[in-house]
Amino acid sequence: MTETGTDRSSRSAERSPGSSSTDASAGRRRNEPSLIDGKLLSLCLGSSIIVAISGLVQVRYGAYSMTFGQAIRAVFDTTVLLDPRWLLNFFVGEDLMRFLTGYQGELPELSTETLIVWNLRLPRVLVAIFVGMNLAVSGAIFQAVTRNELASPFILGVSSGAGLMILLVLTVFSGLTTVLPLVASAGGAVAFLLVYVIAWKNGTSPIRLVLAGVIVGTVFGSLQTAMFFFADDIGIVQEAIAWTSGSLTGVDWQQVRMVLPWTVVAMGLAIISSRQLNVLLLGEQTASSLGMSVERVRFALSGVAVLAAAASIAVAGIVGFVGLIVPHMVRNIVGSDYKRLIIGCLFVGPALMVAADVGARLALNPVQIPVGIVTGLIGGPYFLYLMRKKEQLGEI
Amino acid sequence: MSVETHRENTEIEQDVPVTERKQPNDDESEQLVGKELVVGYPNAEEPVIDDESIVVPEGDVTALIGPNGSGKSTLLKGIARQISLESGTVLLNGRDAHELDSKEFARKFGLLSQENMSPGSLSVEDLVYHGRYPHRGFFESVTQADQEAVDRAISLAGVDHLRDRDVGSLSGGQKQLVWIAMVLAQETEILLLDEPTTFLDIHHQLEVMEIVEALRDHSDVTVVLVLHDIEQAARYADYLLALNEGSIHARGRPAEVVTEALLEEVFGIEARVKENDGIRITPVSPLHDDSIEASRQRALRR
Repeated sequence: MTETGTDRSSRSAERSPGSSSTDASAGRRRNEPSLIDGKLLSLCLGSSIIVAISGLVQVRYGAYSMTFGQAIRAVFDTTVLLDPRWLLNFFVGEDLMRFLTGYQGELPELSTETLIVWNLRLPRVLVAIFVGMNLAVSGAIFQAVTRNELASPFILGVSSGAGLMILLVLTVFSGLTTVLPLVASAGGAVAFLLVYVIAWKNGTSPIRLVLAGVIVGTVFGSLQTAMFFFADDIGIVQEAIAWTSGSLTGVDWQQVRMVLPWTVVAMGLAIISSRQLNVLLLGEQTASSLGMSVERVRFALSGVAVLAAAASIAVAGIVGFVGLIVPHMVRNIVGSDYKRLIIGCLFVGPALMVAADVGARLALNPVQIPVGIVTGLIGGPYFLYLMRKKEQLGEI
Repeated sequence: MSVETHRENTEIEQDVPVTERKQPNDDESEQLVGKELVVGYPNAEEPVIDDESIVVPEGDVTALIGPNGSGKSTLLKGIARQISLESGTVLLNGRDAHELDSKEFARKFGLLSQENMSPGSLSVEDLVYHGRYPHRGFFESVTQADQEAVDRAISLAGVDHLRDRDVGSLSGGQKQLVWIAMVLAQETEILLLDEPTTFLDIHHQLEVMEIVEALRDHSDVTVVLVLHDIEQAARYADYLLALNEGSIHARGRPAEVVTEALLEEVFGIEARVKENDGIRITPVSPLHDDSIEASRQRALRR
């Protein structure tokens, strides 16, 4: 065999950002796109370190001051970590803990540091981790479904539906405030269905879905602004802004319990769907000639992405940019294979979210700003950098 | 129904049978039959293909030829279920192929579309593995059979040396070979190729046709392909279907179909056809109204 083929075409290598990865895989025989990949591994490791450091900063600082040593000791306090009763108490709630363990007495006493860290500060880090995962994976899925690198979890109307419901609840139906997170998520899901209905005409297409998303987003956005106009109480406006720009202020274990099960479901579904996502990337025609029911798969995958987005809205409001830039960063490093991409997102999403939340809480101490403002401030410049650096941006 | 009565039914003057066994008289026993196909696009009023029937010779190469807009690709897409039929049936071994579920259909029919897109950083091997999609369940991992099929497809398409390259870094011609490898990995009875050589340089055109030739000579796969190059079609195909304005104008062996009369009627050109060691077509001029020539002359004088 001659080498002509490889030489002849090296000129056309201008496109793919991940083309250098081919050398690494040469000579290796495998039966499945490999997950054991140096780049993916170091990405996950690096992200985990960022989560750990940011998380530690987050639990150290606050009204009750402690040293890093105290904070670390509190996080790894064996009175909690080795006691299933305490762990269950936090993760599933006291009632369920008592039901599961049958234990009725008082739980062992904790030191003040442990109590503050575990009770007040750690849940915020955990919620940030879950929200980061959900948003990143949701964005990654929507980017495949719409075949557009600039898609985000909120591209198909989810954010506008949720935002409108938040405003409606806060200004008109104040009786529903206690279930605001659920109403917001439901609003997002309904808006997504509406987008689908609008886009449907003998089936959908990525471009029609995106356009329908813009239509619904514009109308709902206007209604949302109108609501702001009629809100006369500055407190309500501030709360509405916190929700619509995304905030983790005041989250506790209840939010962890709310988001955890949906996160597990959505992330699990996303990982097992990665091959479908890969085939979807080949375009509708190829996917359907390979025997995929494109419409069904696309709707189901969008459903998974909406579930993930809704779960994060329910606990943190509408945090922008994470779902847009994280899949992007990961794709630049590990390439476009969705198995690797989703696993990368599961680590990088939390890293960005936890780090941004440290900024949100401590940058203007004692004033806390919505974390969505920080992610926007990070995301904007990152996109500017991408736009300058890459020739082609948009299509996957 | 006898052969004779059916022959009288054929309205098209040049409709010549290849051999007696290829007569569309017994659809049940044929491998691939299109019956009374009406194919069109959802938003158009008139169907592109209006009530045409075809019998595709089993294990052979059948080429669809015709001018732009004659409906060859539409017919192929109709068979491939990419466009839903307005009426008519596609029979595979006597069964309605479009009743099959989508994965089962994709195990019988492979389609190479005209336009293919792939993410830039996808290796050739991974792309070819996607050809196994219809053979794999939702949770199933790669089997021995998948690996063998992929290896065979890659060898058959002659892209072994590209195996670990990214698809995005390949030339247009190499990409086409890789896409063919993916369709081959589907291991289907029927292979439908929509203009596989259009826009390729001459080297890669011949590479593609060499694959088709290999399939014709050394496999049972039935190939149906759309070709723009009539000479190429005559050289590689066993059977030709010439389409014009949505209807099948002529069908038969290349030597029977490719005639000066057909080139005039279907393609609107004056050409010389010679048959020595293959069919040679020498185009002379396009046929059109004298008024076009007259107005061109006027335009030049101005």
